Amino acid sequence: MDSLYKIVGIALVTVIATLIVRPVRPDFAVFISVVGGVIILFLLAGYIADIFDIFSKIFTFTNVNASLYKIILKIIGVGYLVEFTASLCADTGNGSLGDKVLLGGKIVILVMALPIITSILEIVMELLPV
Amino acid sequence: MEVEIIFKIASIGILTAVVSQILKNSGKEDISTLATLAGVVVVLVMVINLIADLFDTIKTIFNF
Repeated sequence: MDSLYKIVGIALVTVIATLIVRPVRPDFAVFISVVGGVIILFLLAGYIADIFDIFSKIFTFTNVNASLYKIILKIIGVGYLVEFTASLCADTGNGSLGDKVLLGGKIVILVMALPIITSILEIVMELLPV
Repeated sequence: MEVEIIFKIASIGILTAVVSQILKNSGKEDISTLATLAGVVVVLVMVINLIADLFDTIKTIFNF
């Protein structure tokens, strides 16, 4: 709850600073909004690490191959990173570039997920009475 | 690495705007452009350092 107030405060400060600076220097306003977003993500980083600690603890009980869990973790990371970059591109007026970043993220996630898909297919092939 | 960096960037922006305005009014157009460029570079270095920190954090969290 404490860091929620921090996030809200940082967002408000960023918005007001952007509003003040934009008429004088429009390019600096973009920098300020980027830095505000980065600081908010820094505040969230600790929580995300906590969540993943708990996830990995749960995952050790399931006896599933640990490499699959790492792949899922990486996919979530790619998703967050691509989302951040794409919204940054959209903020700075390069929405089409952001769309391309999203497309790149989707393709990278698909390539990362291929081992999971093949392992599912292997399980299916074992179950099938051929 | 807290809110101060936002205020820092905002103040650098206002400062460079004022400096370039003064230089432009006193007839030194080329120096005014250079001052603007210097401000942009300084802020860009700060922002890039912050983004590099963020990417390092993401790398360690998500086991890249």
